Amino acid sequence: MPSIADHQPTNRPWRSLAELADAPEFRAFMEAEFPAKADPEGVSRRRWLQLMGASLALAGSVGCRWEKEEILPFAERPEGRVPGTPERYATAMDLSGSAIGLLVTVYDGRPVKVEGNPNHPQSLGATDALAQAAILNLYDPDRSRQVLQREATTRGTVAKWEQFDTFAKAHFDELRGKEGKGLAVLAEADSSPTAARLRDQLLQALPEAAWYEYEPLSRDNERAGAVAALGKPYRTHIHVDQAKVIVSFDADLFGDHPTALRNARQYSSGRDPAGEMNRLYVVESCYSITGAAADHRVPVRAGQVGRFAAAVEAAIAGASADIDESWQKYVDAIADDLKRHGPHGLLVAGPRQPAEVHAAVHRINAKLGSVGTTVTYTEEPDSERSGHFEAIQELAQRMAAGEIETVVVLGGNPVYDAPCDLGFAEAFAKAPTRIHLSLDDNETSQASTWHLPRAHFLEAWGDARSHDGTYSIVQPMIEPLWDGRSKIELLASLIGSESSAYDLVRETARQLAGADDFEACWQVALHDGVLANSQWPTVAPNIAEAAEAVVPETDDAEEFDVVFVRDASVYDGRFANCGWLQELPDPMSRLTWDNAALIGPSAAERLGVKSDQVIAVTVDGRTVELPVFIMPGQADRTIGIALGYGRTAAGYVGGSLQNKVAPVGVDAYAIRPSASPWFAPATVAVTGKTSRLATTQDHHAIDTIALKGIARRLGELVRETTQTELHEHPEVIAHALHLPGGVEEEQLKSLWTEHSYDGRRWGMSIDMNKCIGCGACVVACQAENNIPVVGKERVLKGREMHWLRIDRYFRGDPENPSVSHQPVACQQCENAPCEQVCPVAATVHSKEGLNDMVYNRCVGTRYCGNNCPYKVRRFNYFYYHFDLDKPGGEVAKMAFNPEVTVRTRGVMEKCTYCVQRIQAGKIAAKNEGREVRDGEIRSACQQACPAQAIEFGDLSDQESKVAAAHQSNRAYGMLAELNVKPRTKYLARVRNPHPSPDDQNHEQRSRHG
Amino acid sequence: MSSGAVTANDNTLSDPRHRAPLVAGKQDYASITETVCRIAERDKTPRAWYVAFAVSASLTGMLFLLIGYLFITGVGVWGNNSPVFWGWPIVNFVFWVGIGHAGTLISAILFLFRQQWRTSINRFAEAMTIFAVCCAGIFPGIHIGRIWCVYWLAPYPNQMEMWPNFRSPLLWDVFAVSTYATVSALFWYLGMIPDLATLRDRATNPWRRLAYGTFALGWRGSARQWHRYERAYLLLAALATPLVLSVHSVVSFDFAVSQVPGWHTTIFPPYFVAGAIFSGFAMVVTLMVPARAFFGLKELVTLRHLENMNKIILATSCIVGYAYATEFFIAWYSGSQYELFAFLNRALGPYKWAYWTMVFCNVVVPHLFWFKKCRTTPWIMMIVAILVNVGMWFERFVIIVTSLSRDFLPSSWGAFVPTPIDVAMFVGSFGLFFTLFLLFCRYLPMVAMAEVKAAVSHGIEGHGH
Repeated sequence: MPSIADHQPTNRPWRSLAELADAPEFRAFMEAEFPAKADPEGVSRRRWLQLMGASLALAGSVGCRWEKEEILPFAERPEGRVPGTPERYATAMDLSGSAIGLLVTVYDGRPVKVEGNPNHPQSLGATDALAQAAILNLYDPDRSRQVLQREATTRGTVAKWEQFDTFAKAHFDELRGKEGKGLAVLAEADSSPTAARLRDQLLQALPEAAWYEYEPLSRDNERAGAVAALGKPYRTHIHVDQAKVIVSFDADLFGDHPTALRNARQYSSGRDPAGEMNRLYVVESCYSITGAAADHRVPVRAGQVGRFAAAVEAAIAGASADIDESWQKYVDAIADDLKRHGPHGLLVAGPRQPAEVHAAVHRINAKLGSVGTTVTYTEEPDSERSGHFEAIQELAQRMAAGEIETVVVLGGNPVYDAPCDLGFAEAFAKAPTRIHLSLDDNETSQASTWHLPRAHFLEAWGDARSHDGTYSIVQPMIEPLWDGRSKIELLASLIGSESSAYDLVRETARQLAGADDFEACWQVALHDGVLANSQWPTVAPNIAEAAEAVVPETDDAEEFDVVFVRDASVYDGRFANCGWLQELPDPMSRLTWDNAALIGPSAAERLGVKSDQVIAVTVDGRTVELPVFIMPGQADRTIGIALGYGRTAAGYVGGSLQNKVAPVGVDAYAIRPSASPWFAPATVAVTGKTSRLATTQDHHAIDTIALKGIARRLGELVRETTQTELHEHPEVIAHALHLPGGVEEEQLKSLWTEHSYDGRRWGMSIDMNKCIGCGACVVACQAENNIPVVGKERVLKGREMHWLRIDRYFRGDPENPSVSHQPVACQQCENAPCEQVCPVAATVHSKEGLNDMVYNRCVGTRYCGNNCPYKVRRFNYFYYHFDLDKPGGEVAKMAFNPEVTVRTRGVMEKCTYCVQRIQAGKIAAKNEGREVRDGEIRSACQQACPAQAIEFGDLSDQESKVAAAHQSNRAYGMLAELNVKPRTKYLARVRNPHPSPDDQNHEQRSRHG
Repeated sequence: MSSGAVTANDNTLSDPRHRAPLVAGKQDYASITETVCRIAERDKTPRAWYVAFAVSASLTGMLFLLIGYLFITGVGVWGNNSPVFWGWPIVNFVFWVGIGHAGTLISAILFLFRQQWRTSINRFAEAMTIFAVCCAGIFPGIHIGRIWCVYWLAPYPNQMEMWPNFRSPLLWDVFAVSTYATVSALFWYLGMIPDLATLRDRATNPWRRLAYGTFALGWRGSARQWHRYERAYLLLAALATPLVLSVHSVVSFDFAVSQVPGWHTTIFPPYFVAGAIFSGFAMVVTLMVPARAFFGLKELVTLRHLENMNKIILATSCIVGYAYATEFFIAWYSGSQYELFAFLNRALGPYKWAYWTMVFCNVVVPHLFWFKKCRTTPWIMMIVAILVNVGMWFERFVIIVTSLSRDFLPSSWGAFVPTPIDVAMFVGSFGLFFTLFLLFCRYLPMVAMAEVKAAVSHGIEGHGH
């Protein structure tokens, strides 16, 4: 260590400490080099502590390996800011051109948790799993950290932004000379008005330049359908809360719809069995969560959905169509319901369906009078742009023809996700200058000459609009971790603008707000997360009457259709490097870390394949091999394959050939043709290979005895009924279980003296009538509670760590079963079986009825796990945080919630009802000298839930929502017959089937017996 | 049947007019001493012993290396998962504890019942007990997630001001097994003191004399010492007797007190004790048959001894078989669908091969012992005994793994697949067992000379007692 005398106090931030270090006592102290030799006589203890502090700080400054470090102490602390106290800021997350509003929890300048913004119309306070995972994406150590210039090397040479700026200035000056000829920009869909403004400026300056927009999960069929029916690509808005009858044609209303969160909320609010319940019909090829929520689900091949829609249209008009026998009863029921409910009927077609189906839906909605109640229209932004698939095709052709010299790719990953027949990668390579702005060094970046690191949306200023047009400001929560630039910043620099992103966004907001007092308006918009009244005005387009119903032609040549499915975890592939999402079980198949060829049981039987056996799927001469997963309820002759897997340059989680990390899953873009990007005829060959799929639940490939056992217990574990039955027999749910000898649950005797409470008793209720099984709660729980990701191998072993899981059960006919989702976390049993068997008392009951887990007392006998009837306890079989000690771990650590212990190896962990939130709420209430208000403390799962299925609160407060839920005639404790007295109660699902369709699946359910 | 004439080496005939001698051949005090002591005193160790020792010591080494690996890595090296939080380590623990039952039963209970035939085999069986308990003790210790905190299971005053949870059967288990290990070791050692003194007195090598002399605790064989010795032995026997029943009852509480379907069964304590005796005797037979041949102890450990043990194996096999049947009956009679499913799943589910292996080995095979030929033919009884040990291991596997793999919620059902580490550690525990056993055979008196001498017919031909 250099002598302190040599230490030049040059760094401004250290000034006061350096002065302190120059003090004579301190020199003496440092020369002594050892605190024991420091003379304690002359130094007071207080002074000594100051010196120790200084020495530590100096040690930091000497040992620092950063080039430059600026630590600027607050000269004045901003008002209201208390170190260690979380702050919440509003922002918005744009995904494929539609934003949801968020509130981000920031601890000391470090965003750690994302919640929905209750003010935002598309969030209503909820989030989806993808938004929850934004935190992990932000702190992903694989994110690109520098500008890379690539000539021949694949790794690229590290450059600086200054180098790029110099290059870009010269290059774009040259382009300006040519009016932009030879320049093409390929952008991902983006709702940002600022970006749109900058785009227009760019195209103004470079009129010969071409701008293309591409999204692999495009919803352009909706636009095309609107053009067909309404004459213009109007945007359709659905209002599920107004609907009494909802018919979905291959539309995943709660999964991939831009307003999925809002739809789920509105749907669940219409499911109160005390009132008039809505009724949901779903006609779809691959089982979606919307299908699972449906009262009637009809599995129909993707190409046949149009015929079904046409049959419905005909039936409403009183005509009959020549359709499949098995459809008739559903068509009749739908037509009957729609006719009876008129304007409260709602039909929706999904983005996979061609324009004709959308047009039919518009016509039927208009005929029912739904326009204005359940359906409204607005102008579509960018209505002139060409379709995504046409755009990328044109770009690929022009690049291949050598017309493009400079291509700027703003976000996205077209080399990976462009349709396979375009030869995009080869065409791309023909453009001499290829610039790619991206969060990570992905497939497209590696094919580019310049890779530019992009700022995450939590790092930069921006703006976004939701599906209904509501304007939100995207504000940074943290300085860019890796010197990235946002799309706005890059565009601004390309057009030679000197303005900062902040100024540009303010400029846009000023235009949109149009208010006199812009500053106040800006502050309010920033605070609330939405600019008031900024949604688009509704329009009333004329709906063209079709001369006759156009039935889309379907190609029936091959035995199978491949349906390309949006994945609930990785989306289009962009989230492939997010461990939380990769390990999030698919809502329907429960698959993690993989995609598979989902086929129905009878099709699998015909092919002679079982789950895990690899098949070769060929579309137009292109083949992928991937394992089969038998999915009950899949339409016959349909293979569902999720897009977004098989990434080769995602990172250490999602696969990276450069770093010798095998891809996760199989790339289905490799067989996705541009002509039919959603479903295409395919041939299938059995390969004889196998590949193990990591599913968290085994349901199909199990023996007869197990199937019988499941069938027998399901009626007690996951209780269901119909609205009619519930009205006729209000006790049907409570009486679903009979104890031997006619004993009532209350009469069960306890082995030990039971706990008694004089204060709060925390409790939870989960309404399975509302739950849609989306999985947002699972990721929210993972983010809140620092739950580790364990990887595919350990999921295969059965060692996943989710504290909250969503159990999925099938009932009835395997070709069209009904599905129940049941979220299960620790039930905080009153007579907790885990507590009784722990030899070291590491899991004990709190005074407020929580089943506390004391991590640092736990020795890991795992007896509690065995004795837990719900199997919600999770054990750290290894030290799952070892990577934090590696380089890159510094960043990964930042994602942790500082309020929750990071568990080490060898201890058991489980849901705590978010005890840290309970404590924070109690402290806040105590500081204000009041009682905790009902609804003030919310668990992470509850907060994320779009359907508001979870209630949490104090059971001793008779006014609380959770107490009311526990009193419901639908409430039951799962396995309460064990006398464990669970604190979480489930509210049974109530289905609302149409009285006529003779659907055996929906009849036998939880019959009193 | 031939008349009561007892041939030199066959004392298995049951003629009520003659009491069959407990040892065969013409044995007097000197010959007994000579037969037993010469094994320990042999100058040159047989090559076969070295080979066996090298193999078992290597396996022991492997076991401890693997334990080291486990310490460093975590218990995830095994196949345990959720829902099967307990896997092979606990199966092995119960297996070894069960084996460790025969010794104390033979020593203590048969002693109290004045079953003199026990004298030839009790030392051997007790040694086996202690070594089995050593193997058993390792597994729960290394099984926990944070091995370095294992002492928290002990009730000791500490800065945390915490007692362990006395409601937990696992804690009872700690007490039961440690008490059993202590008392068994004491009992074994106490019984060995007169024999150690004999070895000391016969020792020609000063080191041997020192070693045996140290452990003989100054035994002189005076009447007073014999008197004290007999009293102490009787007291320890009385103390050990309830332990024989308690330790496996308590081990069974680990399962019976929990509420896992298939575990939560009141029949478990007697069923476990019977099973333990069953497996313990089988293990004694497994070891005794080759040992008596190899070390020339056929006259002291006679066929009649083996036959008696085989009868006990047959009896306990019937108890175990009855318990299996009762479990099914109660599962049905309880009206609990989870209970019924747990048992149907054992017999018909994915682990049915384990269940039927268990039934075959534990219930079917021992019925061979209804035939005297099988009871008295060493190779047959050895095969039966080995199969019984296999069956009893599978019994624990069936109880632990199949019950856990499918409990209440079908969503959480899972399968258990052992890892190579699981297998290697189990094999390694056999290595440890045989290492200790080989050392015992080489250096300690395998037969309780003093006790056998009291049971021989004092050299007077034809005067049965």
